[in-house]
Amino acid sequence: MIELINVSKSYSNGIDVLLNINLFVGKEEFVFIVGPSGAGKTTMMKLLYREEVPTSGKVIVDRVNVAELDSKQVPYLRRNIGVVFQDYKLLPKRTVFENVAFALRVTGAPRSTIRRKVMQALELVGMLGRANSFPDELSGGEKQRACIARAIVNNPPILLADEPTGNLDPTTSWDIIQLLEKINKRNTTVLISTHNKGIVDDMKRRVVALESGRIVRDQLLGGYNV
Amino acid sequence: MFSNLEFFLVEALRSFRRSALMSFVAIGTITVSLFVFGVFLLLVVNLGSIVGSVSSKMDLAAYVNKDISLEEAGALQLTLAKIPGVEKIDFISRTEAWRQFKDEFGSQLDLDATMTNNPLPHTFNIKVRTPDILPKVAKEVSNFQLIDEVRYSGKFVDQMKSLLDAIRIGGASLVILIALATLLIVVNTIRLTVLARETDISIMKLVGATDIFVKWPFIIEGILLGVLGGLASFIILNFSYSAVLYKVSSALPFLPLMGDQRLLSLIYLTMVLLGTGLGMLGAYISVSRILNSEV
Ligand SMILES: Nc1ncnc2c1ncn2[C@@H]1O[C@H](COP(=O)(O)OP(=O)(O)OP(=O)(O)O)[C@@H](O)[C@H]1O
Ligand SMILES: [Mg+2]
Repeated sequence: MIELINVSKSYSNGIDVLLNINLFVGKEEFVFIVGPSGAGKTTMMKLLYREEVPTSGKVIVDRVNVAELDSKQVPYLRRNIGVVFQDYKLLPKRTVFENVAFALRVTGAPRSTIRRKVMQALELVGMLGRANSFPDELSGGEKQRACIARAIVNNPPILLADEPTGNLDPTTSWDIIQLLEKINKRNTTVLISTHNKGIVDDMKRRVVALESGRIVRDQLLGGYNV
Repeated sequence: MFSNLEFFLVEALRSFRRSALMSFVAIGTITVSLFVFGVFLLLVVNLGSIVGSVSSKMDLAAYVNKDISLEEAGALQLTLAKIPGVEKIDFISRTEAWRQFKDEFGSQLDLDATMTNNPLPHTFNIKVRTPDILPKVAKEVSNFQLIDEVRYSGKFVDQMKSLLDAIRIGGASLVILIALATLLIVVNTIRLTVLARETDISIMKLVGATDIFVKWPFIIEGILLGVLGGLASFIILNFSYSAVLYKVSSALPFLPLMGDQRLLSLIYLTMVLLGTGLGMLGAYISVSRILNSEV
């Protein structure tokens, strides 16, 4: 499903953020990406949905090297990858419903379909009651859920969650992680970047550890530390 | 596109309202530009109709170089009548011409004393269908062996024509300049509304919006600016021209101003369409430039 082959990335300042990364993630896997701040977790995810292009190497998503994808094709790639952004990226002047609906609207889906699917997604993340709220009326956890709803409303085969528990209390964090696990069980490949040691240790899933742009550990049934 | 049309419209209106002042400035500029354009069109059409009416009163005079018989003259008249564009030919014999001349000037000059012979040639007065073919017909007529010389008041017509051409060329350059300036205003107006929504645009693209999806609301906003400017200039020009027509028809009734409603509607329609086109093009250029400057 996802394969990084000899991927390196440096931004314009020339410092290598990712260095010779090789990673394979199969269909419907559930993977934690851990590592200290600045290790390159967000950058790695950005390569997958082509917000960034690698300096060298191949980034294969669903058999296509997205590093060389024609920019006209990028929107279609992104419709197949749900992203829960570290900073939510909700449209501030739109309600939760409209924000979630947006991911469907861009596909040209008919209005009735949009309505039905948005309601389903909001129900799944437990946000039906806040459908008409605006982002600045929501708590961090609620924003996170709205963002998850938008990421999955299209039923994408891949879901990337960048620190989805970043600012949340332990209980809410657990709710979110369980939600992501539920989504994973609906045949979705899920990648989660996190600093949350407790959750990673308790979940006992595959862990990929990044440090200064290199993969220093890739462990099935892993924990936060070795 | 169509399932999202309502969405695009709502977006465009929102954006329009958000930058209301700027939008009105843009509409005002478009209005003025299109008004000038419309005035120019009316000027050209009216000068054309004035030149037409003046020169339509003009004939060719073809002088015969020999004292031909009336039969020969009749035959020549028939041949000349076959020249394309010729509407009517009158033959004036040299005797007749001499008599007319003496009637006109005889009292001032003692003609019979100074001239024993009639110095005038036979003459054909030729009426042509439209004034612009005058030179062509004159040339063809002069190619006849029997014709000595062809005269027409070409100078005046030619002068009017070159004046009209000058106005056309000058006006066209002016219109192009104005159109460019208008385009620039639209580009800048839309640029500001696009920049105000840059974050939104980047989020839309991150969740899979195509470029054209992002562009549509702005293009519609540009069209809106153009249509409103076009309509405003149409209303103002229609009002002013009606007033001019009314004034001129009472003060200078001999001036043949153009009042054909169908042609007027065509001019107004052109103005509105041009406004729409400029609005759309300006918006497209603006939003494309901003989207392309991002990665
Ligand atoms: N657009 C950019 N331009 C230049 N440098 C960047 C850019 N984005 C990230 N970096 C740098 O790349 C490195 C990795 O950043 P990245 O966001 O991938 O880290 P991260 O692992 O997600 O960190 P965190 O846990 O804090 O989110 C950092 O040193 C950061 O300063
Ligand atoms: Mg990060």
